[in-house]
Amino acid sequence: MENLGVGLLLMGVGMVTVFCILLIVIYGSRLIISLVNKMAPEAEAAPKASFDARPILEAAVAQLTGGKGRITKITEL
Amino acid sequence: MQGFSDILERLYEMTAISNLADTPAFLLMYFIAFVLLYLGIAKKYEPLLLVPIAFGVLIANFPGGEMGVIQADSQGFVTLADGSREIIWDMPLHKVAHELGIMNYLYYALIKTGLLPPIIFMGVGALTDFGPMLRNLKLAIFGAAAQFGIFAVLIASLLLGFTPQEAGSLGIIGGADGPTAIFTTIKLAPHLLGPIAIAAYSYMALVPVIIPLVVKLTCSRKELMINMKEQDKLYPEKLEIKNMRVVKIIFPIAVTTIVAIFVPTAVPLIGMLMFGNLVKEIGSDTGRLFEVASNGLMNAATIFLGLCVGATMTAEAFLNLQTLGIIVGGFLAFALSIASGIVMVKVWNLFAKKKINPLVGATGLSAVPMASRVCNGISTKYDPKNHVLNYCMASNISGVIGSAVAAGVLISFLG
Repeated sequence: MENLGVGLLLMGVGMVTVFCILLIVIYGSRLIISLVNKMAPEAEAAPKASFDARPILEAAVAQLTGGKGRITKITEL
Repeated sequence: MQGFSDILERLYEMTAISNLADTPAFLLMYFIAFVLLYLGIAKKYEPLLLVPIAFGVLIANFPGGEMGVIQADSQGFVTLADGSREIIWDMPLHKVAHELGIMNYLYYALIKTGLLPPIIFMGVGALTDFGPMLRNLKLAIFGAAAQFGIFAVLIASLLLGFTPQEAGSLGIIGGADGPTAIFTTIKLAPHLLGPIAIAAYSYMALVPVIIPLVVKLTCSRKELMINMKEQDKLYPEKLEIKNMRVVKIIFPIAVTTIVAIFVPTAVPLIGMLMFGNLVKEIGSDTGRLFEVASNGLMNAATIFLGLCVGATMTAEAFLNLQTLGIIVGGFLAFALSIASGIVMVKVWNLFAKKKINPLVGATGLSAVPMASRVCNGISTKYDPKNHVLNYCMASNISGVIGSAVAAGVLISFLG
Protein backbone atom coordinates (compact mmCIF):
# COMPACT_ATOMS: atom_id res chain seq x y z
CA MET A 1 0.00 0.00 0.00
CA GLU A 2 2.91 2.30 0.68
CA ASN A 3 4.10 1.73 -2.87
CA LEU A 4 0.62 2.52 -4.17
CA GLY A 5 0.84 5.87 -2.43
CA VAL A 6 4.19 6.52 -4.13
CA GLY A 7 2.65 5.57 -7.48
CA LEU A 8 -0.36 7.84 -7.07
CA LEU A 9 1.87 10.71 -5.95
CA LEU A 10 4.10 10.21 -8.99
CA MET A 11 1.08 10.09 -11.29
CA GLY A 12 -0.27 13.34 -9.84
CA VAL A 13 3.05 15.17 -9.89
CA GLY A 14 4.06 13.73 -13.27
CA MET A 15 0.87 14.52 -15.15
CA VAL A 16 0.55 18.01 -13.64
CA THR A 17 4.19 18.75 -14.50
CA VAL A 18 3.84 17.51 -18.10
CA PHE A 19 0.63 19.53 -18.59
CA CYS A 20 2.15 22.65 -17.04
CA ILE A 21 5.36 22.45 -19.09
CA LEU A 22 3.45 21.96 -22.34
CA LEU A 23 1.06 24.80 -21.45
CA ILE A 24 4.05 27.05 -20.79
CA VAL A 25 5.59 25.91 -24.10
CA ILE A 26 2.30 26.62 -25.93
CA TYR A 27 1.73 30.06 -24.44
CA GLY A 28 5.44 30.88 -24.57
CA SER A 29 5.43 30.03 -28.25
CA ARG A 30 2.40 32.24 -28.82
CA LEU A 31 4.26 35.06 -27.11
CA ILE A 32 7.33 34.43 -29.29
CA ILE A 33 5.17 34.44 -32.43
CA SER A 34 3.48 37.71 -31.40
CA LEU A 35 6.82 39.37 -30.64
CA VAL A 36 8.39 38.15 -33.88
CA ASN A 37 5.32 39.34 -35.82
CA LYS A 38 5.81 42.79 -34.31
CA MET A 39 9.60 43.05 -34.47
CA ALA A 40 10.52 41.04 -37.56
CA PRO A 41 7.29 40.54 -39.49
CA GLU A 42 8.81 39.75 -42.85
CA ALA A 43 11.15 36.92 -43.66
CA GLU A 44 14.07 38.17 -45.72
CA ALA A 45 12.99 37.44 -49.25
CA ALA A 46 15.48 35.55 -51.33
CA PRO A 47 16.79 37.86 -54.04
CA LYS A 48 15.00 37.09 -57.26
CA ALA A 49 17.12 36.13 -60.20
CA SER A 50 17.28 39.20 -62.38
CA PHE A 51 19.03 37.57 -65.31
CA ASP A 52 17.33 35.87 -68.19
CA ALA A 53 17.87 32.13 -67.83
CA ARG A 54 16.59 31.31 -71.32
CA PRO A 55 19.93 31.59 -73.25
CA ILE A 56 21.68 29.37 -70.67
CA LEU A 57 18.94 26.76 -70.79
CA GLU A 58 18.88 26.86 -74.60
CA ALA A 59 22.65 26.35 -74.76
CA ALA A 60 22.43 23.44 -72.29
CA VAL A 61 19.60 21.78 -74.20
CA ALA A 62 21.41 22.29 -77.53
CA GLN A 63 24.57 20.71 -76.13
CA LEU A 64 22.77 17.75 -74.61
CA THR A 65 20.64 17.03 -77.68
CA GLY A 66 23.29 17.83 -80.31
CA GLY A 67 21.37 20.88 -81.53
CA LYS A 68 18.14 18.95 -82.15
CA GLY A 69 16.28 19.95 -78.99
CA ARG A 70 14.46 23.23 -78.59
CA ILE A 71 12.80 24.94 -75.63
CA THR A 72 9.19 25.83 -76.33
CA LYS A 73 7.99 26.87 -72.89
CA ILE A 74 9.52 27.64 -69.50
CA THR A 75 7.18 27.47 -66.51
CA GLU A 76 8.04 28.54 -62.97
CA LEU A 77 7.27 25.80 -60.46
CA MET B 1 46.16 -42.08 -28.94
CA GLN B 2 46.03 -40.57 -25.47
CA GLY B 3 47.49 -37.35 -26.87
CA PHE B 4 44.97 -37.24 -29.73
CA SER B 5 41.99 -37.65 -27.39
CA ASP B 6 43.45 -34.91 -25.17
CA ILE B 7 43.59 -32.59 -28.16
CA LEU B 8 40.02 -33.46 -29.10
CA GLU B 9 38.86 -32.84 -25.54
CA ARG B 10 40.62 -29.48 -25.39
CA LEU B 11 39.16 -28.55 -28.78
CA TYR B 12 35.69 -29.44 -27.48
CA GLU B 13 36.26 -27.31 -24.39
CA MET B 14 37.63 -24.44 -26.50
CA THR B 15 34.43 -24.21 -28.54
CA ALA B 16 31.12 -22.99 -27.17
CA ILE B 17 29.60 -26.43 -27.73
CA SER B 18 30.47 -27.77 -24.27
CA ASN B 19 28.84 -24.77 -22.57
CA LEU B 20 25.81 -24.99 -24.85
CA ALA B 21 25.28 -28.60 -23.84
CA ASP B 22 25.47 -27.56 -20.17
CA THR B 23 23.15 -24.54 -20.51
CA PRO B 24 20.48 -25.01 -23.18
CA ALA B 25 18.98 -21.61 -22.23
CA PHE B 26 21.50 -20.13 -24.67
CA LEU B 27 19.65 -21.85 -27.50
CA LEU B 28 16.49 -20.00 -26.56
CA MET B 29 18.41 -16.72 -26.67
CA TYR B 30 19.66 -17.58 -30.18
CA PHE B 31 16.06 -18.22 -31.18
CA ILE B 32 15.03 -14.81 -29.78
CA ALA B 33 17.95 -13.19 -31.65
CA PHE B 34 16.96 -14.89 -34.91
CA VAL B 35 13.31 -13.83 -34.52
CA LEU B 36 14.37 -10.22 -33.87
CA LEU B 37 16.74 -10.34 -36.85
CA TYR B 38 13.92 -11.69 -39.00
CA LEU B 39 11.57 -8.90 -37.85
CA GLY B 40 14.23 -6.29 -38.52
CA ILE B 41 15.47 -7.59 -41.87
CA ALA B 42 12.48 -9.28 -43.52
CA LYS B 43 9.59 -7.40 -41.89
CA LYS B 44 11.53 -4.09 -41.74
CA TYR B 45 10.37 -3.37 -38.17
CA GLU B 46 12.66 -0.51 -37.09
CA PRO B 47 15.65 -2.22 -38.78
CA LEU B 48 18.11 0.55 -37.85
CA LEU B 49 17.72 -0.40 -34.20
CA LEU B 50 16.32 -3.89 -34.14
CA VAL B 51 19.16 -5.35 -36.25
CA PRO B 52 21.99 -4.09 -33.98
CA ILE B 53 20.00 -5.05 -30.86
CA ALA B 54 19.30 -8.55 -32.21
CA PHE B 55 22.93 -9.04 -33.23
CA GLY B 56 23.99 -7.84 -29.79
CA VAL B 57 21.74 -10.53 -28.27
CA LEU B 58 23.32 -13.14 -30.50
CA ILE B 59 26.95 -12.33 -29.77
CA ALA B 60 26.31 -11.84 -26.05
CA ASN B 61 25.16 -15.42 -25.64
CA PHE B 62 28.18 -17.35 -26.86
CA PRO B 63 29.89 -18.68 -23.73
CA GLY B 64 33.54 -17.72 -23.71
CA GLY B 65 32.96 -14.86 -26.17
CA GLU B 66 32.92 -12.31 -23.33
CA MET B 67 30.48 -10.11 -25.23
CA GLY B 68 27.62 -10.25 -22.72
CA VAL B 69 27.18 -7.26 -20.43
CA ILE B 70 27.76 -8.05 -16.76
CA GLN B 71 25.48 -5.92 -14.60
CA ALA B 72 26.93 -4.53 -11.42
CA ASP B 73 24.84 -5.19 -8.31
CA SER B 74 23.22 -2.42 -6.28
CA GLN B 75 26.53 -1.71 -4.53
CA GLY B 76 28.37 -1.58 -7.85
CA PHE B 77 30.16 -4.94 -7.45
CA VAL B 78 30.91 -7.22 -10.42
CA THR B 79 32.35 -10.71 -10.32
CA LEU B 80 35.49 -11.19 -12.41
CA ALA B 81 36.53 -14.39 -14.22
CA ASP B 82 38.75 -15.48 -11.31
CA GLY B 83 35.81 -15.21 -8.90
CA SER B 84 37.01 -12.03 -7.18
CA ARG B 85 34.63 -9.11 -6.78
CA GLU B 86 35.40 -5.50 -7.57
CA ILE B 87 33.49 -2.25 -7.64
CA ILE B 88 33.02 -1.46 -11.32
CA TRP B 89 33.32 2.31 -10.83
CA ASP B 90 36.76 1.86 -9.23
CA MET B 91 38.04 -0.09 -12.23
CA PRO B 92 39.82 1.90 -14.94
CA LEU B 93 38.25 1.40 -18.38
CA HIS B 94 41.25 -0.50 -19.77
CA LYS B 95 40.86 -2.98 -16.91
CA VAL B 96 37.13 -3.32 -17.64
CA ALA B 97 38.03 -4.12 -21.26
CA HIS B 98 40.75 -6.56 -20.21
CA GLU B 99 38.82 -8.36 -17.46
CA LEU B 100 35.24 -8.22 -18.78
CA GLY B 101 35.62 -7.83 -22.56
CA ILE B 102 35.09 -4.96 -24.99
CA MET B 103 31.30 -5.03 -24.83
CA ASN B 104 31.44 -4.21 -21.12
CA TYR B 105 33.95 -1.47 -21.93
CA LEU B 106 31.48 0.04 -24.42
CA TYR B 107 28.53 -0.47 -22.08
CA TYR B 108 30.11 1.14 -19.02
CA ALA B 109 31.75 3.95 -21.02
CA LEU B 110 28.90 4.86 -23.37
CA ILE B 111 25.62 3.50 -22.01
CA LYS B 112 25.89 3.39 -18.24
CA THR B 113 27.21 6.94 -18.27
CA GLY B 114 24.03 7.96 -20.12
CA LEU B 115 26.01 9.38 -23.06
CA LEU B 116 24.38 7.80 -26.10
CA PRO B 117 20.62 8.47 -25.62
CA PRO B 118 21.14 12.27 -25.53
CA ILE B 119 23.38 12.05 -28.61
CA ILE B 120 20.62 10.17 -30.43
CA PHE B 121 18.15 12.79 -29.22
CA MET B 122 20.37 15.46 -30.77
CA GLY B 123 20.08 13.63 -34.09
CA VAL B 124 16.32 13.30 -33.65
CA GLY B 125 16.14 17.06 -33.01
CA ALA B 126 18.15 17.73 -36.16
CA LEU B 127 15.65 15.68 -38.14
CA THR B 128 12.52 17.19 -36.53
CA ASP B 129 10.51 20.05 -37.95
CA PHE B 130 8.58 21.88 -35.23
CA GLY B 131 6.67 23.82 -37.91
CA PRO B 132 3.47 21.71 -37.73
CA MET B 133 3.39 22.11 -33.95
CA LEU B 134 3.94 25.88 -34.12
CA ARG B 135 1.14 26.19 -36.69
CA ASN B 136 -1.27 24.21 -34.48
CA LEU B 137 -0.16 25.12 -30.99
CA LYS B 138 -3.43 24.19 -29.26
CA LEU B 139 -3.10 20.60 -30.42
CA ALA B 140 0.25 20.30 -28.65
CA ILE B 141 -1.56 19.85 -25.32
CA PHE B 142 -2.62 16.35 -26.37
CA GLY B 143 1.04 15.36 -26.15
CA ALA B 144 0.60 15.70 -22.39
CA ALA B 145 -2.55 13.58 -22.08
CA ALA B 146 -0.86 10.68 -23.82
CA GLN B 147 1.69 10.37 -21.03
CA PHE B 148 -1.01 8.94 -18.76
CA GLY B 149 -0.11 5.38 -19.78
CA ILE B 150 3.36 5.83 -18.26
CA PHE B 151 1.98 6.52 -14.81
CA ALA B 152 -0.93 4.06 -14.98
CA VAL B 153 1.45 1.20 -15.74
CA LEU B 154 3.84 2.46 -13.07
CA ILE B 155 1.06 1.98 -10.50
CA ALA B 156 0.07 -1.42 -11.93
CA SER B 157 3.72 -2.55 -11.82
CA LEU B 158 4.06 -1.45 -8.20
CA LEU B 159 1.02 -3.54 -7.32
CA LEU B 160 2.59 -6.52 -9.11
CA GLY B 161 5.65 -6.30 -6.90
CA PHE B 162 8.15 -4.34 -9.00
CA THR B 163 10.25 -1.82 -7.08
CA PRO B 164 9.36 1.86 -7.70
CA GLN B 165 12.52 2.24 -9.84
CA GLU B 166 11.68 -0.81 -11.94
CA ALA B 167 8.04 0.31 -12.25
CA GLY B 168 9.14 3.75 -13.46
CA SER B 169 11.38 2.20 -16.09
CA LEU B 170 8.59 -0.12 -17.20
CA GLY B 171 6.02 2.67 -17.39
CA ILE B 172 8.24 4.89 -19.53
CA ILE B 173 7.78 2.42 -22.41
CA GLY B 174 4.37 4.13 -22.73
CA GLY B 175 6.20 7.28 -23.81
CA ALA B 176 6.93 5.44 -27.07
CA ASP B 177 10.34 6.99 -27.24
CA GLY B 178 13.34 4.64 -27.41
CA PRO B 179 16.13 6.97 -26.22
CA THR B 180 13.93 8.30 -23.40
CA ALA B 181 13.08 4.75 -22.26
CA ILE B 182 16.76 3.76 -22.33
CA PHE B 183 17.92 6.93 -20.57
CA THR B 184 15.36 6.49 -17.79
CA THR B 185 16.14 2.79 -17.35
CA ILE B 186 19.88 3.45 -17.15
CA LYS B 187 19.20 5.88 -14.32
CA LEU B 188 16.58 3.83 -12.46
CA ALA B 189 16.88 0.10 -13.17
CA PRO B 190 19.87 -0.70 -15.41
CA HIS B 191 19.44 -4.46 -14.90
CA LEU B 192 16.19 -4.23 -16.93
CA LEU B 193 17.75 -2.30 -19.82
CA GLY B 194 17.65 -5.17 -22.33
CA PRO B 195 14.00 -6.22 -22.06
CA ILE B 196 12.78 -2.62 -21.70
CA ALA B 197 14.66 -1.46 -24.80
CA ILE B 198 13.40 -4.45 -26.75
CA ALA B 199 9.80 -3.84 -25.61
CA ALA B 200 10.03 -0.11 -26.37
CA TYR B 201 11.42 -0.54 -29.87
CA SER B 202 9.23 -3.55 -30.68
CA TYR B 203 6.04 -1.70 -29.76
CA MET B 204 7.23 1.38 -31.66
CA ALA B 205 7.68 -0.89 -34.66
CA LEU B 206 4.18 -2.21 -34.04
CA VAL B 207 2.60 1.27 -34.02
CA PRO B 208 0.86 0.48 -37.36
CA VAL B 209 -0.89 -2.38 -35.57
CA ILE B 210 -1.45 -0.99 -32.06
CA ILE B 211 -2.87 2.45 -32.96
CA PRO B 212 -5.57 1.11 -35.36
CA LEU B 213 -6.52 -1.46 -32.72
CA VAL B 214 -6.96 1.13 -29.96
CA VAL B 215 -8.68 3.57 -32.34
CA LYS B 216 -11.13 0.87 -33.41
CA LEU B 217 -11.98 0.13 -29.79
CA THR B 218 -12.42 3.76 -28.73
CA CYS B 219 -13.57 5.88 -31.69
CA SER B 220 -16.76 6.05 -33.73
CA ARG B 221 -16.86 6.49 -37.52
CA LYS B 222 -18.42 9.93 -37.06
CA GLU B 223 -15.52 11.07 -34.87
CA LEU B 224 -12.92 9.77 -37.31
CA MET B 225 -14.66 11.67 -40.13
CA ILE B 226 -14.05 15.05 -38.44
CA ASN B 227 -12.28 17.09 -41.09
CA MET B 228 -9.67 19.34 -39.49
CA LYS B 229 -9.23 21.56 -42.57
CA GLU B 230 -12.95 22.30 -42.66
CA GLN B 231 -12.87 23.05 -38.94
CA ASP B 232 -9.97 25.43 -39.62
CA LYS B 233 -12.07 27.22 -42.27
CA LEU B 234 -15.03 27.48 -39.90
CA TYR B 235 -12.92 28.63 -36.95
CA PRO B 236 -9.67 30.09 -38.36
CA GLU B 237 -6.58 30.46 -36.19
CA LYS B 238 -6.25 34.07 -35.05
CA LEU B 239 -2.49 34.09 -34.63
CA GLU B 240 -0.71 34.11 -37.96
CA ILE B 241 3.02 33.38 -38.15
CA LYS B 242 4.64 36.04 -40.33
CA ASN B 243 8.26 34.98 -39.99
CA MET B 244 8.46 31.23 -39.38
CA ARG B 245 12.27 31.08 -39.73
CA VAL B 246 12.93 33.41 -36.79
CA VAL B 247 10.26 31.69 -34.65
CA LYS B 248 11.81 28.30 -35.38
CA ILE B 249 15.24 29.57 -34.29
CA ILE B 250 13.95 31.10 -31.05
CA PHE B 251 11.73 28.09 -30.21
CA PRO B 252 14.43 25.51 -29.29
CA ILE B 253 16.30 28.06 -27.18
CA ALA B 254 13.12 29.01 -25.32
CA VAL B 255 11.95 25.42 -24.73
CA THR B 256 15.37 24.38 -23.40
CA THR B 257 15.35 27.31 -20.99
CA ILE B 258 11.81 26.58 -19.77
CA VAL B 259 12.45 22.86 -19.23
CA ALA B 260 15.84 23.50 -17.64
CA ILE B 261 14.23 25.77 -15.07
CA PHE B 262 11.33 23.48 -14.17
CA VAL B 263 12.63 19.92 -14.74
CA PRO B 264 16.44 20.02 -14.83
CA THR B 265 16.68 16.21 -14.94
CA ALA B 266 15.07 16.27 -18.40
CA VAL B 267 17.72 18.64 -19.77
CA PRO B 268 20.12 15.95 -21.09
CA LEU B 269 17.31 14.82 -23.39
CA ILE B 270 15.42 18.04 -24.16
CA GLY B 271 18.59 20.14 -24.27
CA MET B 272 20.24 17.90 -26.84
CA LEU B 273 17.00 17.52 -28.81
CA MET B 274 16.67 21.28 -29.04
CA PHE B 275 20.36 21.82 -29.80
CA GLY B 276 20.08 19.43 -32.75
CA ASN B 277 16.99 21.30 -33.91
CA LEU B 278 18.67 24.69 -33.49
CA VAL B 279 21.64 23.82 -35.73
CA LYS B 280 19.12 22.61 -38.33
CA GLU B 281 17.02 25.77 -38.20
CA ILE B 282 19.95 28.20 -38.31
CA GLY B 283 20.65 26.88 -41.77
CA SER B 284 23.84 27.01 -43.80
CA ASP B 285 25.89 28.77 -41.10
CA THR B 286 25.71 25.65 -38.94
CA GLY B 287 25.14 23.24 -41.80
CA ARG B 288 28.26 21.22 -40.96
CA LEU B 289 27.09 20.67 -37.39
CA PHE B 290 23.66 19.67 -38.65
CA GLU B 291 25.25 17.21 -41.06
CA VAL B 292 27.23 15.49 -38.27
CA ALA B 293 24.37 15.52 -35.73
CA SER B 294 21.82 14.07 -38.12
CA ASN B 295 24.06 11.61 -39.93
CA GLY B 296 27.49 10.43 -38.79
CA LEU B 297 27.20 10.95 -35.05
CA MET B 298 23.64 9.69 -34.79
CA ASN B 299 24.38 6.59 -36.85
CA ALA B 300 27.51 5.75 -34.84
CA ALA B 301 25.59 6.24 -31.59
CA THR B 302 22.77 4.03 -32.88
CA ILE B 303 25.19 1.21 -33.70
CA PHE B 304 26.82 1.23 -30.26
CA LEU B 305 23.52 1.72 -28.43
CA GLY B 306 21.86 -1.15 -30.29
CA LEU B 307 24.73 -3.59 -29.82
CA CYS B 308 25.21 -2.77 -26.15
CA VAL B 309 21.49 -2.93 -25.35
CA GLY B 310 21.32 -6.31 -27.10
CA ALA B 311 24.36 -7.49 -25.17
CA THR B 312 22.59 -6.83 -21.87
CA MET B 313 20.18 -9.63 -22.80
CA THR B 314 22.20 -12.57 -21.61
CA ALA B 315 20.29 -15.79 -20.91
CA GLU B 316 20.83 -15.26 -17.19
CA ALA B 317 19.43 -11.71 -17.19
CA PHE B 318 16.62 -12.16 -19.70
CA LEU B 319 14.95 -15.49 -19.09
CA ASN B 320 12.79 -14.77 -16.06
CA LEU B 321 9.26 -13.77 -15.12
CA GLN B 322 10.19 -10.11 -14.86
CA THR B 323 10.84 -10.00 -18.60
CA LEU B 324 7.37 -11.37 -19.29
CA GLY B 325 5.94 -8.68 -16.99
CA ILE B 326 7.85 -6.03 -18.94
CA ILE B 327 6.56 -7.27 -22.30
CA VAL B 328 2.92 -7.29 -21.08
CA GLY B 329 3.26 -4.08 -19.04
CA GLY B 330 4.97 -2.29 -21.93
CA PHE B 331 2.08 -3.11 -24.26
CA LEU B 332 -0.44 -1.86 -21.68
CA ALA B 333 1.54 1.37 -21.21
CA PHE B 334 1.58 1.90 -24.96
CA ALA B 335 -2.12 1.18 -25.48
CA LEU B 336 -3.17 3.29 -22.45
CA SER B 337 -1.11 6.24 -23.70
CA ILE B 338 -2.89 6.13 -27.05
CA ALA B 339 -6.30 5.71 -25.41
CA SER B 340 -5.78 8.55 -22.92
CA GLY B 341 -4.88 10.95 -25.75
CA ILE B 342 -8.08 9.95 -27.55
CA VAL B 343 -10.17 10.36 -24.38
CA MET B 344 -8.82 13.87 -23.85
CA VAL B 345 -9.84 14.86 -27.39
CA LYS B 346 -13.32 13.46 -26.75
CA VAL B 347 -13.62 15.49 -23.55
CA TRP B 348 -12.32 18.57 -25.41
CA ASN B 349 -14.93 18.08 -28.14
CA LEU B 350 -17.71 18.06 -25.54
CA PHE B 351 -16.95 21.69 -24.69
CA ALA B 352 -15.27 23.22 -27.76
CA LYS B 353 -16.98 24.57 -30.87
CA LYS B 354 -14.04 23.66 -33.06
CA LYS B 355 -14.06 19.86 -33.11
CA ILE B 356 -10.85 17.85 -33.22
CA ASN B 357 -10.36 14.48 -34.84
CA PRO B 358 -9.55 11.98 -32.03
CA LEU B 359 -6.64 10.70 -34.10
CA VAL B 360 -4.82 13.87 -33.03
CA GLY B 361 -5.01 12.53 -29.47
CA ALA B 362 -3.84 9.08 -30.51
CA THR B 363 -0.57 10.57 -31.77
CA GLY B 364 0.17 12.26 -28.46
CA LEU B 365 2.65 9.53 -27.68
CA SER B 366 6.03 10.02 -29.40
CA ALA B 367 6.97 7.52 -32.17
CA VAL B 368 7.52 10.42 -34.61
CA PRO B 369 6.53 10.45 -37.45
CA MET B 370 5.21 6.92 -37.79
CA ALA B 371 2.23 7.46 -35.46
CA SER B 372 1.11 10.48 -37.52
CA ARG B 373 1.48 8.61 -40.79
CA VAL B 374 -0.55 5.69 -39.43
CA CYS B 375 -3.31 8.04 -38.21
CA ASN B 376 -3.37 9.85 -41.55
CA GLY B 377 -3.86 6.44 -43.17
CA ILE B 378 -6.82 5.74 -40.86
CA SER B 379 -8.52 9.10 -41.54
CA THR B 380 -8.12 8.84 -45.32
CA LYS B 381 -9.62 5.36 -45.18
CA TYR B 382 -12.88 6.90 -43.93
CA ASP B 383 -12.64 10.01 -46.13
CA PRO B 384 -9.92 10.13 -48.83
CA LYS B 385 -9.87 13.96 -48.65
CA ASN B 386 -9.40 14.11 -44.88
CA HIS B 387 -5.64 14.45 -44.39
CA VAL B 388 -4.79 14.89 -40.70
CA LEU B 389 -1.01 14.41 -40.98
CA ASN B 390 0.01 17.98 -40.12
CA TYR B 391 -2.42 18.17 -37.21
CA CYS B 392 -1.27 14.81 -35.83
CA MET B 393 2.35 15.92 -36.12
CA ALA B 394 1.59 18.78 -33.70
CA SER B 395 0.64 16.43 -30.85
CA ASN B 396 3.16 13.84 -31.99
CA ILE B 397 6.10 16.26 -31.66
CA SER B 398 4.85 17.69 -28.38
CA GLY B 399 4.63 14.08 -27.18
CA VAL B 400 8.43 13.87 -27.51
CA ILE B 401 8.75 16.86 -25.17
CA GLY B 402 6.04 15.42 -22.89
CA SER B 403 7.66 12.00 -22.52
CA ALA B 404 11.08 13.54 -21.85
CA VAL B 405 9.53 15.72 -19.13
CA ALA B 406 7.75 12.67 -17.65
CA ALA B 407 11.11 10.85 -17.67
CA GLY B 408 12.68 13.83 -15.89
CA VAL B 409 10.01 13.66 -13.17
CA LEU B 410 10.56 9.91 -12.70
CA ILE B 411 14.34 10.35 -12.48
CA SER B 412 13.97 13.24 -10.01
CA PHE B 413 11.70 11.27 -7.68
CA LEU B 414 13.06 7.75 -8.02
CA GLY B 415 16.69 8.20 -9.11
